[in-house]
Amino acid sequence: MNSAAQTTPRDTYTETRRHELRKSRLTMVDGNLATNSRTAEGGVSARVYDSGYWGFASAPGADNAASVERAGRKARENARTMARFGTRKAYDLPGGSYRGEHAYQGRPALSQKDGIDRLAALHAWCAQRYPGLKSTQFMLQDEYHTKRLSSSHGSEVLSSIQRAVCYMTLTAEDDAGAPVELLDRLSVKGSLADLDLSIDAMGPLLDRLHEQLQHKRTAVAARGGLHTVVMGPDLAGILAHEAMGHPCEADLVLGGAMTRDLVGQSVASELVTMVDFANTYGGEELMVPVYADDEGTPARDAVLIERGRLNAFMSSRETAARLGIEATGSARAYNPNDEPLVRMRNTAILPGASKLDEMIAGVDDGYLLLKTSNGQADSTTEFMFGITLGYEIRDGRIGRAIRDTTVSGSAIKVLQSVDAVSDDMQWTCAGYCGKKQPMVVSMGGPAIRSRAHLGGV
Amino acid sequence: MRREPVSPIHGARPGGAADQRPLRDIAEQALAVMRAQGFDAAQVSASRATQDEVNISHNEASLLRSTETCRVGLLGLVDGRKASTELSDFDADAIRERIAGLYADAQSAPQDDANAVSSGQHARIVQGPQDSDLALLADKAAELLAFRSRETPRMMVDEGAALHARTDSHTLTTGGSDLACSLGWYALQAFGTARDGTQSSSFNHAGGTTDDLRGHDAAAFFGLGEMLRDTERQIHTQPVGANFVGDVVLMPNAAADLVEWLLEQIGDMQLIAGSSLYRDQVGQAIASPLLSLRSRFDAPGVAALSSDGFVTPPIEILRDGRLVTLIPSLYGSRKTKLPHVPTASAGWDLAAGTSPLAEVLGGVARGALIGRLSMGNPAANGDFSGVIKNSFRIDDGTLGPALSETMISGNIGRMLRDVVALSQERIDTGALRLPWLRIANLHFS
Repeated sequence: MNSAAQTTPRDTYTETRRHELRKSRLTMVDGNLATNSRTAEGGVSARVYDSGYWGFASAPGADNAASVERAGRKARENARTMARFGTRKAYDLPGGSYRGEHAYQGRPALSQKDGIDRLAALHAWCAQRYPGLKSTQFMLQDEYHTKRLSSSHGSEVLSSIQRAVCYMTLTAEDDAGAPVELLDRLSVKGSLADLDLSIDAMGPLLDRLHEQLQHKRTAVAARGGLHTVVMGPDLAGILAHEAMGHPCEADLVLGGAMTRDLVGQSVASELVTMVDFANTYGGEELMVPVYADDEGTPARDAVLIERGRLNAFMSSRETAARLGIEATGSARAYNPNDEPLVRMRNTAILPGASKLDEMIAGVDDGYLLLKTSNGQADSTTEFMFGITLGYEIRDGRIGRAIRDTTVSGSAIKVLQSVDAVSDDMQWTCAGYCGKKQPMVVSMGGPAIRSRAHLGGV
Repeated sequence: MRREPVSPIHGARPGGAADQRPLRDIAEQALAVMRAQGFDAAQVSASRATQDEVNISHNEASLLRSTETCRVGLLGLVDGRKASTELSDFDADAIRERIAGLYADAQSAPQDDANAVSSGQHARIVQGPQDSDLALLADKAAELLAFRSRETPRMMVDEGAALHARTDSHTLTTGGSDLACSLGWYALQAFGTARDGTQSSSFNHAGGTTDDLRGHDAAAFFGLGEMLRDTERQIHTQPVGANFVGDVVLMPNAAADLVEWLLEQIGDMQLIAGSSLYRDQVGQAIASPLLSLRSRFDAPGVAALSSDGFVTPPIEILRDGRLVTLIPSLYGSRKTKLPHVPTASAGWDLAAGTSPLAEVLGGVARGALIGRLSMGNPAANGDFSGVIKNSFRIDDGTLGPALSETMISGNIGRMLRDVVALSQERIDTGALRLPWLRIANLHFS
């Protein structure tokens, strides 16, 4: 395919990626169009593994033969330059090869004008329907990655990741005049054209968001400490991602994450099975479909926790070699000038057999947690994520809304305390996972009931 | 910072870069096309960036990474309607095609009198090390690894880097602004955990940017050595084990969260949405009188230019706890009728205190020394709760065991008012120069 992918006697592995990344963004604040932007980035990168060291180089111009040649030459030179650090063990990189083309065909792209018109209609509808609001903000954002990868292991892959998100933020005031806000997001695979932004579709979502915002205006502080919590599907997804997803990334395992010593051991209730899906769940292609990763490794599902026992890690070729495990096709790069790192793809806790209503009814004193802002993982498996919408549960009934708080705990303790998992499943693909580079990931889950630590007074 | 004519192109990259026309020429040609297209006003920025980076992975140097990127940023106004775009291609046909699309995008936007581009701004900035020194990068990576091996052997540097970056840019507007910048800098960073048997610390990190990487041993930059030592002491932890109200001492890395929150509160989005807590507080005491926050827009890795095409003179945000100014951009200013205060992308300096760090810590009856706040975004009113990471218990002024599973909650605005001591010592990461802060009245759980 190109010269950079051809091996030389000293190369043990080379890959070349031609990567295009297009984004569009519209932001409307109280009817004012604050952002009206489209970007396009294209580049080529080459990476070489030589005598245990990596060299990487990138240059602008995804379809420029001179850039491809230059990046390949520089990557080889960089790998050899690293020899100044002395001898380093070189691994045979496992993972096989893949040949195939996977491009999502969604609806024809939405023009900026169509996007702006839909935002203006949503804003006008909110202004008319919710006159007490202090502010209404909408953001539409989509991004489209196309990657053509060629590797010395024989991989030739065309892949694409395409997702669109609508963020909606409503702001009101409490009785003291302090701002109270609530954000929700709607995400789809595809472009903004694949999001149904009609009033018919969005109206019920906004009505519910507005109703929840009114609850927050009189919210009470959560009681700090350990509580029984029912976490909605949004939270189960981020729990899967933050709590045990990151500690099961092979590079973090090599770095000393506690999970390294726990394979085969009980790390969760038997009700919990957690999987990082490569591309398909329940016969449907997922929101971040990875058929081969950015090293050209055929992607496979990684069953991280199976009925409560830690089972496997997500890996790249090198981390798989170092740990002596199979490569899962989890090495992904975000920008044209980024090297692949071990990243999650579509991470979920699988549904169980309980009903959400029954799970709530079974709580004498606890909290129902429904919306989250952001989260963080840790090598200790101690995770946290922000809660932007939650309610008290008293005697099995939903009570007052609680103010923004944070839920945290040892993932192992929290997952071991799971005593109910609902029988439904929701997927989202909004925001980014941050780990040196940003990354588009999806996460999913049912509702779960467990014990976790809430911040509060 | 030196201000002098900018060399039009980078030094040649190994292998030769593709398009080395002067950035001013590229920007000028694009601006002419925008005028011809029919835009009433426009801003064009052409830039090239290169980076060389020695990466550390799992306590070993592992990767040498060299990247080059180019970018053309275009912003156009027609009849009060605005659109912007970026492309990574200097090709004249590609730029012309994008400008045509941009015109259509702008025409579809609503009219907004607040849209405008800068005028009359002029700068020639050459700042920081312009050329990469790969041998120096390798030496600094080796020094950091040697320090780890010698001083903190239980520490695992999961990721680290010694890097040189350079960005050349040229911005022109139809209002006559002409801003050229050649900004180079070095950076060192490390991220990792310490481990003892099956016990592991939390992640910890340190890093920053500098113009002079030769000045010290690698571990002496940005608190890197202290971070590695602290992390080794955080392998064995205890929960705080009680609910109480106490004091915290925020290390500079954690104190950065307060500064960033305040800057958001006085910036565009909050001001336009009307949700800023400080919209009408200029001249008022909003923070402890110990706090004075000013810009440092010539810090390593920072250019004294705003993204909307303005030179950014020095400013004060807080003087002895009083809010001196809000920081709306040109658009935010025209939208809110507040005075325009241009700011650079980073570069802030919180004045040092008068107490040695030991005294700051010694004044805590019950509380914690906090290296990192792991928390959700604060609520609109500033309320927050978060897990404290890389932290130690303090009782009667004495540092105790490292903490785990401990949360604090409070209000960021209240925290700014409840600062009761600042250290003489500061850490300078380039983007921020901050002391340790002692703050009263946080809820522990």
